[in-house]
Amino acid sequence: MLIKYEFLKILRKKSTLIVMCFSLVLTAFLFGLPVLQYQTYNQDGVLKGREAIAYDKEQYAEVTLTEDYITGTILGVQQLFENPDNVGYDGNEKFLIGDAYWNEIAPREHLLNIIAKTYDSPNENSGYSRLSDLDITDGANFYKAQKSKIKKLLDTPSRELSERQKEYWNHMAGRVSTPLQYGYFKGWEIIISSFELLMFAVLAVCIVLAPVFSGEYQSGTDAVILSGRYGKTKLIKAKILASYLFGFLAFTLHIAVAFGLPLAAFGTDGWELPVQIANTVIPYPFTFLQTVLVNTGVIYLILFAMISLTLLLSSVMKTPYPVLIVLVPVLFIPVFLTPDGTAGVYNLTLFLLPYRAAMPEIGKYISYQFGGVVMDAFLVRAVLYTVLTVVLLPFAGMGFKNHQVV
Amino acid sequence: MELQLQNLSRQFGRKCAVDNINATLAPGVYGLLGANGAGKTTLMRMICGVLKATSGNIRLNGKTMQELGERYYTRLGYMPQDFGFYPDFTAREFMLYMAAVKGLDKKSAKSRTEELLYMVNLQEAADKKIRSYSGGMKQRLGIAQAELNHPSVLILDEPTAGLDPKERVRFRNLVSGFAKEKIVILSTHIVSDVSSIADTILMMKNGRFLLQEPMDAVTDSIRGKVWEVLADEREAAEYGRRFLVVSLHHENNMVRLRIVNETSPAAGAVSVEPGLEDLFLYHFGDVSSFL
Repeated sequence: MLIKYEFLKILRKKSTLIVMCFSLVLTAFLFGLPVLQYQTYNQDGVLKGREAIAYDKEQYAEVTLTEDYITGTILGVQQLFENPDNVGYDGNEKFLIGDAYWNEIAPREHLLNIIAKTYDSPNENSGYSRLSDLDITDGANFYKAQKSKIKKLLDTPSRELSERQKEYWNHMAGRVSTPLQYGYFKGWEIIISSFELLMFAVLAVCIVLAPVFSGEYQSGTDAVILSGRYGKTKLIKAKILASYLFGFLAFTLHIAVAFGLPLAAFGTDGWELPVQIANTVIPYPFTFLQTVLVNTGVIYLILFAMISLTLLLSSVMKTPYPVLIVLVPVLFIPVFLTPDGTAGVYNLTLFLLPYRAAMPEIGKYISYQFGGVVMDAFLVRAVLYTVLTVVLLPFAGMGFKNHQVV
Repeated sequence: MELQLQNLSRQFGRKCAVDNINATLAPGVYGLLGANGAGKTTLMRMICGVLKATSGNIRLNGKTMQELGERYYTRLGYMPQDFGFYPDFTAREFMLYMAAVKGLDKKSAKSRTEELLYMVNLQEAADKKIRSYSGGMKQRLGIAQAELNHPSVLILDEPTAGLDPKERVRFRNLVSGFAKEKIVILSTHIVSDVSSIADTILMMKNGRFLLQEPMDAVTDSIRGKVWEVLADEREAAEYGRRFLVVSLHHENNMVRLRIVNETSPAAGAVSVEPGLEDLFLYHFGDVSSFL
């Protein structure tokens, strides 16, 4: 009963409606923007909107990236480069032109780039032209090249990875099943690259929940509810549960909008495909759907921790406004902080702050070592935000329970 | 039933808002009088457990508030001064919410809500949002919520503040109706609000009880110190400067003054029966604080 009324209290406020509407429109705009701006090219020029999406989908043929298939593909590219009529040169690199490009490369350029990138050095990004001078006498050895590149990445001195961390990542990468399945995955790619934009939704939820306790102090209802039988016990639990219920539902609505727009526009194709077809050095043995689910889980935990923090601040501050003055920097200062690597206290801390923690960053080998235990960013973020959620809540409860009506 | 206040004190920094209060309250209506800042609200907040005492104890039937825990609050009804409502709730929703906070089961909550809304004459406006309520309606809703759990101790802090005379009379009648077999503490700085319904007067000044007397004996201490004088305008002005004037009434070209003073203020002064306002003025000296 109390939960119902506490939930109604949150829901009935005009400010709740205004903040939620604004936040949903913003989320729709942010996640709809890649759809609205999407464009691609064919021989006739620029394609936009549905036409561009339909054209692109045709280019991503579903294939299994076996060694034979990759060897044959590379050989095909090399043969195109052997004909001088097909080759252009900009003084820096060779590239294919004319029908050779439009008929043979353009329809599968993403796949060719992914294959070529696997043979690049860690800091190199040469594109499909890299395939022209690749030695495939003994076959493409694509998966060997993939492992080799991962090893080089792990051995990069600036990453400062311990042997245990390297072992951890190698073990994880070894669990990626090969040969990889290739296909269209644009909708999922947009979601994965836009996760951090959901922090605006987290902020909106926190704005709505900021008055849960402090609003009682501000409006002068604190005295009457704290002097009630359950004012210092069940009411606190009801307020907390109602806040979480609201936060969960409101955020889920935002997720539905955020994920719904790109998936409606680009389709759900690719949900079962491995994320390595976006970048072959990603060590996580996840499909696109699994990646989205895991990171969404992490963001929910961030949300819950932020709700706990909001409730704690709300319970100790006299009005809701100072709550937001503290929360906004916590959520958004990391926007202005750029990591300068993947090692060191600064970077490893930055990757755990709310805004950065919302980014999956699955290709960066971000790991944390505690003694002999190595944990990846997903796990550390999940543990950290779960601990914060659980630890902050009792203090929020105590803040209200010990509140003195002065 | 007995509510004991034992050596109760509350300090805010160096200021002692409530200073070593001792009282034992049995069922009845207690009019808690005092000028603004006397410590009435602080005392009531401590009794209601929303403000911790710096020292001392509050006991209900011999057990401290801490010992009783939730059971203490079960016996308590509180209408704070200027307390807020939830403007987006209807009166019925607010009552049901408060019933849940007070631990009433669903069935009792519903029946008690309807009963009380009827008693405070809000049944027709029960489904209107509280934001549309007048001050008087809010005050009635305030006392209704305080009565939800049939409290044994009913604390009403300045319940008539901001009400017009008609609303105040209605409110007094409501309180009288609720007061049976309860300890009702009604704080006010409007003397007339308690003079007709209080059984006992508790008068506070500077955080202390100046007096705790039954209503019928409360003015005994100033018997022989209240005077009426008939004077012309010039003399009246002079009396106003020299004495505590409770009231003055113009009669033709003369002024009838009611004066509180230890001795007769003038040769023609007549000693009269003291009232609560006279007592208040005698102790607080400043008429502006309570009229």
